[in-house]
Amino acid sequence: MEDARECLGEGVLKHLNVLEVEALALSGRQQLCLQQQSRVDDLRIMVEKLRAHRDMLKARAKTNMSLQHLKAVADQRNVDCNEDDINAGGSSRTAQSQLSFLVARRTQVKDLLQAHHFIGGYDVTETGRGKGVYISIATAFEGLYLETYNLELDLGHVVQICRHNIPPFIPLEKLAQVHLQTDLMDFLSALSDHLNAFAGRRQQVCLIQEVLLGSVEVMESNVLFNTIVLMCKDAGENGRAILCTLEYSDLSRYLPTKVTIESEDQDLPSTPWWKESQSLLLCTPAHKAFQALKMKGLIA
Amino acid sequence: MDDSAKQVLRKIIRRIPSNKLQNILSKWEHLSKKQFRSLEFTQAKWLLCDNLLSLCEENDLSMKHVTELEMIYRIENPAQGSWNVCQLIDPSEEAVTVDSLTFKDSFKAHLKHLISHVSVKMKKHEDNAIWIRIAWGDNFTQPNHLNPTYVVHHLQTPYVFVSGLTAKHKPFLHQALIPSTHYGGLKDVHLSGRCLTALRDLLMRQYKQAFPVKHPRLLQEKSPVPSHPNIETEHAKHTEKRLQMAAEAFGEGILPKLETAVYKLETRFRENGMPGRREEPFRGVVKFSSSNLLESLKNCVSSGMASAPVTPLLSSITQKGRNYFVITDKGPGVSHTQGRKI
Repeated sequence: MEDARECLGEGVLKHLNVLEVEALALSGRQQLCLQQQSRVDDLRIMVEKLRAHRDMLKARAKTNMSLQHLKAVADQRNVDCNEDDINAGGSSRTAQSQLSFLVARRTQVKDLLQAHHFIGGYDVTETGRGKGVYISIATAFEGLYLETYNLELDLGHVVQICRHNIPPFIPLEKLAQVHLQTDLMDFLSALSDHLNAFAGRRQQVCLIQEVLLGSVEVMESNVLFNTIVLMCKDAGENGRAILCTLEYSDLSRYLPTKVTIESEDQDLPSTPWWKESQSLLLCTPAHKAFQALKMKGLIA
Repeated sequence: MDDSAKQVLRKIIRRIPSNKLQNILSKWEHLSKKQFRSLEFTQAKWLLCDNLLSLCEENDLSMKHVTELEMIYRIENPAQGSWNVCQLIDPSEEAVTVDSLTFKDSFKAHLKHLISHVSVKMKKHEDNAIWIRIAWGDNFTQPNHLNPTYVVHHLQTPYVFVSGLTAKHKPFLHQALIPSTHYGGLKDVHLSGRCLTALRDLLMRQYKQAFPVKHPRLLQEKSPVPSHPNIETEHAKHTEKRLQMAAEAFGEGILPKLETAVYKLETRFRENGMPGRREEPFRGVVKFSSSNLLESLKNCVSSGMASAPVTPLLSSITQKGRNYFVITDKGPGVSHTQGRKI
């Protein structure tokens, strides 16, 4: 107040001027302070982030190391771990042996699955107090599991199929007439061949549509996938269209029995490299054969 | 464009609901983009129809193109009218190798050989089904395009789905279908319904069937605090069994949509286990109908209203793929397996 009175004597405007200067200085200091604070906060967050990242990488490295170690051990002596192993050792040891137990179990299950496929690969369940069995047939193509088909058999005086989910274009009735009463294993293996071949042919068409998108086009196919017409373009400048018809007269195989190549250019199918590709198509799955042709630069 | 084509176009447009009209016409491919854009779909239908007719005149379209429009509509909306299913029997060696082009030519040739005034149109749908539209006429009249017969067939499968076929034209269709598919005969499967996809799924076994499992899945506990653990497990076991039975009989997930199942009884009346004095068979028809019959029956079994295991009379609908049965005295087995054995 004293100041104010003095200042008043000197004039109101000057006093206001002083106040303005002071206020400006104060706000400047405040802003600086705030900036520093927020910078500190930012840095702190950054530190936390980096720390978390470091921990994650550390953990990943550790699991990788231990997995490699375990793999080496498992490979060396084909581990057959018991559950007792889990309880042995300290806490880190327990975690490790648990992991090794899981890895060993996985290999075991894989081996079992393989063995299962060696002996025929059918899942059989008893139904109706032993009056019937239920069989499932898995299909696969190039190591990839596809649909599983099921059928329920009635084991009376005559073996009968009572229920199934096999599509109607698979000649189930014909196969049943030939094998069902005499040899169940023959019947199942013939049926499995048909189903696997069908799944394989369908998968090839799917793969062509997926992998060779834009270079090979599926023009025509049917529910059984036993006639497939494909169109591709010659790699030459004029890009002549080539029509390739694959016919599968043996329905229990996924490879074609007849390959026809047609083109606008009459001479093209008889050129040596197309003759070669024709025989390639006869012995290789279609998607692989066309990929090879593309690599060789025969088709665009 | 002649008068009859105009008349048919008018009737077709009248049948198509307004909200679907734009979509259907966009697939028709006989109007230029500019012409299509000039049509106003908010207009009253008769006005729209007049505009469409003048555009058709401009493009010089004929009956052939008009029937194409109807076909597009029918393929997009197959759930109209009732579909019946026939099964081709005794396939010859060539049956598996018939391709759609030879089938088309051969079917047309066979049908035209049998009957002179007939208009056939075929189209291959995306799912490899061949749709056939037949407008029948006779020796003195032109083909009737207002009541065509629709036939849907997947090559290499024995099933033929037919809609709008009169008894008079049935033999012609059969005689044309049998040689062109390389089969030996055609018989009725006794399955009908409005929903074409449901019939197809049922016969092609594309619906989700339930099979017995080695490791039954546990039912999720619904109430967190069981009143008595023993009672709960007992009940859970029963429920699980019922659900499994219901699923084994009718399938899992979304079931094919059937509307009816008909059981015709032709049995003799029995009194106290003795064959009745009356020699006349006791005739009766039992008809089940529902908006989704299989779902209703499954619910009856899974909720415990009907006893499990399910009577073969009901489970035969899915397993034999038919919904019309005749039950005679010789035991149900005989008349049931009349249809498909497998």
